[in-house]
Parts: sequence; structure tokens; C-alpha cells
Amino acid sequence: MCVFRDGEACVSRGGGSEPEWGPRGASLAVGVSAPLTMFRYQSLEDCPLDEDEDAFQTLGEEDEDIDQFNDDTFGAGAIDDDWQEAHERLAELEDKPATARELEDGAVSDEMELLGHHEENLAERLSKLVIENELEDPAIMQAVQTQPPMQQPGGLNSSIWDGSAVLRRIRGPLLTQEMPSVSVLEYAMPQRPPQGQEDERDLSERALPRRSSSPVIGSPPVRAVPIGTPPKQATVPNFNQQILCPKPVHIRAPMQQRYPSPYGERMSPNQLCSVPNSSLLGHPFPPSVTPVFTHLQRAQLLGGAQAGRMSPSQFARVSGLVGSPLTSMNPKLLQGRVGQMMSPASGFRAFFGAPPPPAPPPSQQQHPPCPGSHLQNLRPHPQMFRPDTTHLHPQHRRLLHQRQQQNRNQHRSLNGSAGDRAGHRSSHQEQLRKDPYANLMLQREKDWVSKIQMMQLQSTDPYLDDFYYQNYFQKLEKVSAAEEMHGDGPKKERTKLITPQVAKLEHAYKPVQFEGSLGKLTVSSVNNPRKMIDAVVTSRSEDDETKEKQVRDKRRQTLVTIEKTYSLLLDVEDYERRYLLSLEGERPALMEERKQKICDMYDNLRGKAPGQERPSDDHFVQIMCIRKGKRMVARILPFLSTEQAADILMATARNLPFLIKKDAQDEVLLCLLRPFSLVLYHLPSGTVTSLLQQLANLPQSATAPAPANLHLAAVLQNKFGLSLLYLVLSRGEELQNSSAATELMQDNQWTELMSMATRELLRIPEAALAKPVSTPSNLLSLFSRYVDQQKLNVLETKLQLVQGIR
Amino acid sequence: RAGTKSVPVRLRGPGPLAAAGLKLPHAARAAAAGMLFYSFFKSLVGKDVVVELKNDLSICGTLHSVDQYLNIKLTDISVTDPEKYPHMLSVKNCFIRGSVVRYVQLPADEVDTQLLQDAARKEALQQKQ
Repeated sequence: MCVFRDGEACVSRGGGSEPEWGPRGASLAVGVSAPLTMFRYQSLEDCPLDEDEDAFQTLGEEDEDIDQFNDDTFGAGAIDDDWQEAHERLAELEDKPATARELEDGAVSDEMELLGHHEENLAERLSKLVIENELEDPAIMQAVQTQPPMQQPGGLNSSIWDGSAVLRRIRGPLLTQEMPSVSVLEYAMPQRPPQGQEDERDLSERALPRRSSSPVIGSPPVRAVPIGTPPKQATVPNFNQQILCPKPVHIRAPMQQRYPSPYGERMSPNQLCSVPNSSLLGHPFPPSVTPVFTHLQRAQLLGGAQAGRMSPSQFARVSGLVGSPLTSMNPKLLQGRVGQMMSPASGFRAFFGAPPPPAPPPSQQQHPPCPGSHLQNLRPHPQMFRPDTTHLHPQHRRLLHQRQQQNRNQHRSLNGSAGDRAGHRSSHQEQLRKDPYANLMLQREKDWVSKIQMMQLQSTDPYLDDFYYQNYFQKLEKVSAAEEMHGDGPKKERTKLITPQVAKLEHAYKPVQFEGSLGKLTVSSVNNPRKMIDAVVTSRSEDDETKEKQVRDKRRQTLVTIEKTYSLLLDVEDYERRYLLSLEGERPALMEERKQKICDMYDNLRGKAPGQERPSDDHFVQIMCIRKGKRMVARILPFLSTEQAADILMATARNLPFLIKKDAQDEVLLCLLRPFSLVLYHLPSGTVTSLLQQLANLPQSATAPAPANLHLAAVLQNKFGLSLLYLVLSRGEELQNSSAATELMQDNQWTELMSMATRELLRIPEAALAKPVSTPSNLLSLFSRYVDQQKLNVLETKLQLVQGIR
Repeated sequence: RAGTKSVPVRLRGPGPLAAAGLKLPHAARAAAAGMLFYSFFKSLVGKDVVVELKNDLSICGTLHSVDQYLNIKLTDISVTDPEKYPHMLSVKNCFIRGSVVRYVQLPADEVDTQLLQDAARKEALQQKQ
């Protein structure tokens, strides 16, 4: 049958003028070679399978060289064939869509015949999808709309499984090629009716020579089409070996099952498929997009439905969702998601600008985002777009839905009634119907591409690979959980994002070995790269480097230290998680490691002083002058032991004015307050005293106090300093109150320090006094011990110690 | 990756994608390095961003999705300078190839800078190994 582009259908075979190619003109030139290929097949097609091998071998032996080159260049032998005929047959397929549309309501018989053939084809192709088994990764499958049925499609059983004859017919003439060329074969046979739009796609495949490069012995079998071409169907098991390559002993690492999907999919696609109102269904693909697919889709539907991939509820769902008769034929499109962009096919709908289809009962719309419930995802969402959110963190999903709700409310008010929307939609359908560039890719091809992308995203350690995302939402969860704790209690279901991991597979590639051969072949292939360069990389150790370079820039050196310490810090912070994941036996070792790292960190902070006293704060101060150094110290403090932490505190207090001066620009010192206060809580009184001493910068032996204590003054004028001072004082007060023996009171030093502190506080003008972060409540009682009432009042007002009405 | 200290250097290609099927060689799957910004942008899905392209076109929209190449899909877009780009008036949604993006302007409160720094450090460590 040939069809002219203007849509006139004439039911006649062969003959006729060349169909116009239009935009596909480019492929015309390339298509020349294709028929030759097919006709070679065609000639062998008639041979039954048994004779095939022999026939070919004779052929091969005779014209091996010539034909080989021929094949390489032109893709077939120099058989004089009526390529024109085949070419036309192929060309008319392009116009199939136009006719198909008309046919679908019309000639039933014609259609049914096509349908029948489609089913048969489908059945055959489906049988070759065996290898899909190994790739049953839910994440990947989820990304794919076409689900190869694992079970035998019911009614089509016979055609597949007693299909040795069927398959043979296809396989027979295959020389070196694998699955994709099956489709090529099919076209070549003139007795087979043209098969629908899919064939058109294979023009690209056909056009290319069968072998794009000479086979390298030992490499995996060469494919029919070049690497980048999407396959007609999915993979095919070892269909045919390369004839030209003697039988190798192929040792292949078995691919283990990888079931988990990246990024938190919590229901397998199977489950999602069968749940009614599943999100899979609710993604409205532009309904008018594929009238072409109608008969094919139907075939697939029938096959799919029997395989149990699509439940009857889906059909019901579908027809309920969209009124268009076309869409009811295309649940396949509505099923599944293209996860490529982490969003579904419905996203495409959005990109056509079509408003959502008529909404399901308003009750569902009004349903507030169900806290954490994964079912939330499963109700059909008539929105501009509904992203595929099952892989997202529940927190994220919640946020997104809230947002969408807001938008929907806005839109609803803007868009008016559903009637308007429906009208709008139909006009879009009109436009889409006329789109000549629609359906350039088959759904399978799209799936294929998405699968590749999704496979690249499989990770062995999602926590590491997806670090930011995971942690960000964990933090959000913690925050919201903390907030809820203050409230009525956890209202929302506390769902966790479970991110399964792909097991790390060690592929040991063993190069091909030939039976009965001596030695090994030096074959280099992609899987087995040969050592090309005998380069030996030696890196100098750290010590040598420093000796050699004599790092002059102290700041640089400090930065390097900070970074090294940061790596240690990140490791240490990670230990808790690792601890949970590890086995019992490994845990002590982990603890040891952790301790060691903490010590290393501390050494880094204080400067490595092997064995000796640490007289100089210099190293530490240098670190503290840099903003990220300060932040790092704040993060490290919780991990240090009490003595170490106290030491850090002392060093900070000792050098506080200097640090304050340096911090003027960064103002980051405040981040230290919280860890400091935590540390303070654990400090004994003696330490607190010395700490205060440091703050006030009094020498051990107290001499007559200077008229003005500059150190302290500076401290008081700085927010951080003042806050720290308050903390220390407050701690002291606590200690005084708590311990029965008021050791602090008896401690002269403390009293002196207190009087000094109060003196300074009184002396300093109020304007110069900094505003502290928080004023502890027990300061008043503290001061009351040391100053008389008058001064106390002054202090009270000055420091705003009394929490009055503010 | 190049070999580490005193191990002979091995040149390894990414491996061909099996055209007829999806049995990707192991090497092709090791694409997890360099996922930092992908992870980062994933956390921003649903937020409003302004994408400035290398051709100076600035598009404001809601981040719909992102992939490992940092291709961006925006919905509800508006061009910041409509007069200059009148052809964008009717466009509601767009797909932007990652390589043409110059800047992405983000809402500051949606970003955890400390976490981002940590992620960057981890990534650097990973690359070094």
C-alpha cells in the first residue's frame, strides 16, 4: 500500500511514484544502502534454519573477502535487487500516521489485520526482552513507561512460546547481527505488511551499515547499529555470535540483582502500578499526542494487561480522567513515569501549556497534604504539573505540595470553571494533533534513553553521592520535629527517606581465551584496557614538602591546617552513622579511629608540640583569626574532652582582645558562644576562676589593680566578650549556689576577680557597653554578694539585670 | 581516574553503551563523582530561581526539575526584560540545557551554606582518592 503525502490512500501494492520525503529528505540518500541489506536477508530468508549455517558458510568461503568489504561499506552483497520496491514500501510507512488516523474509525478489517500482525510482532519482540530481567531495578523501571511483561501474555502465549518456528524465521538470515536488525529483517520481507509507525523509526537503523567497524577478536559482539542508536526493542540474549569470530570462552561477571532505587522510592513500580489512583496513572500526557499509536498501543495493552502490569482499575481510571477517546487507548502513556529529569511525563504536558484536565472530585483536591503519608502522592493531581515526587524526601514532598496547593488556589480563581479548561484543552489537542514533529521518538526509545540516565545515577553510596540533599532534608526534619515537640506532639508521621544503595559490584573482566591455544592474546578492548604508558607516579610526603618549600606564607599554612582538620572533623561527624551500619566486631576499631582522629584534630588546633608544653597560643590564634577557623573550632568543641575543651577556652580568653580586634570584620565569634557555654557547664570551679582570670587578664599574683583594666574593658565592649563574661560569672554563681561548701566564696581569687569585674562594669560608660546575647538571671544575686546596695542599683540599671518590661 | 602513587597509569574509557540492551559496562556506571550540584539543585526543586544564560537572557521561574547534567526545567517563567525578548511572551515552561547557564540566582534562605561547604569538602576528598 502506498500513500501519498496529501493523504490520499490508494490500496495498491508496489509501483507508484516516489513518495515525497519532505523533511526526511536527508535520509533518502542514506537509505539507499538499506535495501541492499534487506535483500540479502530476503534471499536467505527462504532457507530453513538448518541449512542456514551451511549456506552461509559456503557463501562466506567463496566471497568472504569481497563480501566482507562490501558489507562494511554498503551493508550488503552485490546482489541485484529491486531496492526501489523495498524503498517505496519503507517510504510509505512514513505516511502511516495520516492513514492510521483515518483508518482507525474506518476499515475494521484492515485494521484488525494490522492489529493482528502487530500483536504477533509484539509477541515476538516481547519474547526477546528476556534480558530485561537483569535490569529489574525499580528505579530504572520506574523511569520507563514501557514495562516488559515478565509473564507470558495470555492470549498471545502460543505465538511466543511455541515460537521456535517464529523466531527461527527471524533469526535465520541473521549473520552477525543482534536484535535490532530483526526489525530490519521484517521490513525486508515483502509479504509482510507494513507495520506501522515504528518501522519508520528504523529507517535510521536500516540506513547504517551492519558493521561499523571490523570486529576485534575478544571484544563483545559487534552490534548491528552504531552505539548511539536506540534499539527497536530492549535487549536480546546472546542471539548470535559473530560468525567471523571463533567461539570464544566468554567469562562474564554475573550481574547481581539490584533492586533498590536511588533517592528514596518507597513503593516499587509494581505496587504503584496496581494501586488504583496511583500517581503513575495520573500523569496526563498530552492526550492527542499519539493517535498513531492507537492500534499498536492496543496491542501492547492487551499484552500488557494480561501480564498484569496494568490493572483493570487503570483502565477505569484512565477513562475517568480524560474524556477523549484517544486517551482511553493510551493508558500506556499514562502509566509509568519518565524519571529522567526527576519528574514525570506529565511535565511534558505542562510544556505544551495545557491546563490540567477536569479535576477529580473536589474533595480530593481539598485534601490537605497528608502528613508524610505516601498515599498523598497517589491521588490524582490535576495540576499544571505534578512532579514525580516519590523519590523525594518526605519533607521535600511536603513542601512541594504545600506550594502547589497555594498555586492551585491561585490558579483556580484565575482560570474559572472547569468548562473553560476543558475547552482550552481541546484546542490544544487540536494543535497537537497537527504537530508534524510529535512522536519522533517511540516511547520505547524514550524509555531507553531515560534508562541510561537513570542507570548512571545509581550509586553505591547515596549518602555520600547525594550528600547535600540528604542532609539538608534531615536537618529540616529535625527542625520541624523539634518545633513539633513544643507543640501538641508529633502530628505528622515521621517518615524517613530510605535511600537504598546499589551494591558495589566488582567486575573482574577476564579477557577472552581461546580453547586449546597457547598463551594469551594481547587484546585490548574497552573493558580490558592495556597498559599504554608505563608511568610511575610518586608523590612526595608531606614532611619533605614542607622542608623543601619552607612555607613562608603563614596564613596559607594555617589555611591548609584548617582544611586538614576539617576533613578530620567531617569524618568524625560521620562516625555515628558508620557505627550504626557496621558490624559488632568492627565497632571497637571504629571507636579507636574516632578517638585518634579527635586527638589529631586537637593537635592540629593547638599546634603540634611533640611531647612538650604548649606555651604558645600562636598557632591557635592564627586559626582563630580566620573565619572558617572559628567555625571549625565551634564544631570541634563538642567532640573534645573536658580538659582539651577547657584548654581551648582558656586560650581564647587569654587572647580575647586580639581576637576581637581581628573579628571586627567577620563577626563570627558569636558562633562560639553556644559550645563554650556547653563546656562551661562541665567545668569545675577552679577552672572557672582561672577562666575569669584570663578574661580579666590578671597575672597570677595579683598586684595592685591598675586604674583601668584594658583587657577587661575591651572584653566588655564586645558583644561576644561581654556575653562570655556573663556566662562565666553565671557559672560561678551557679557553683556558689550549688556546692554546700562555698569554696568559691572562700577563694580569694574569686572575690578579687569579682570586685575587679564589678569595678570595671561600673566604670565603663553605658554607651560603650556592648549588648550581650543574653543576660543570665542569676547575675543580680551574684553582684549582690560583692557590692553594696547603691552600686547594685547602678549595676542593675546599667546592665539591665532586672528583666523588667522590655 | 589516573593511578595513584607508583601504580602504573591505566587509561580507561567510559565504555560503549550497549546499543541493543542496557548492559552497561561497569565503568560507564561510575558517574557518581561530581554530583554535588545535582544534589544541591535537587533540594531547590520547587523554589523560585532566576537563571541567567550565556546569551544574557535572564529567566525567572520555578525550578521544576534538574538532572545530572544540570539541565534545568522551569515552569511559569517570566523574562526579566520582556521588551527585549518578545518571543518569550507566550512561553510558560522551558527546558534549559545545562551548558548554557551562566548563573542561577537562588533564594538565600533555602541554602545551607555550611552544609554546602561540607559537601564540597567531601567531594574534593572523593576526587582526590
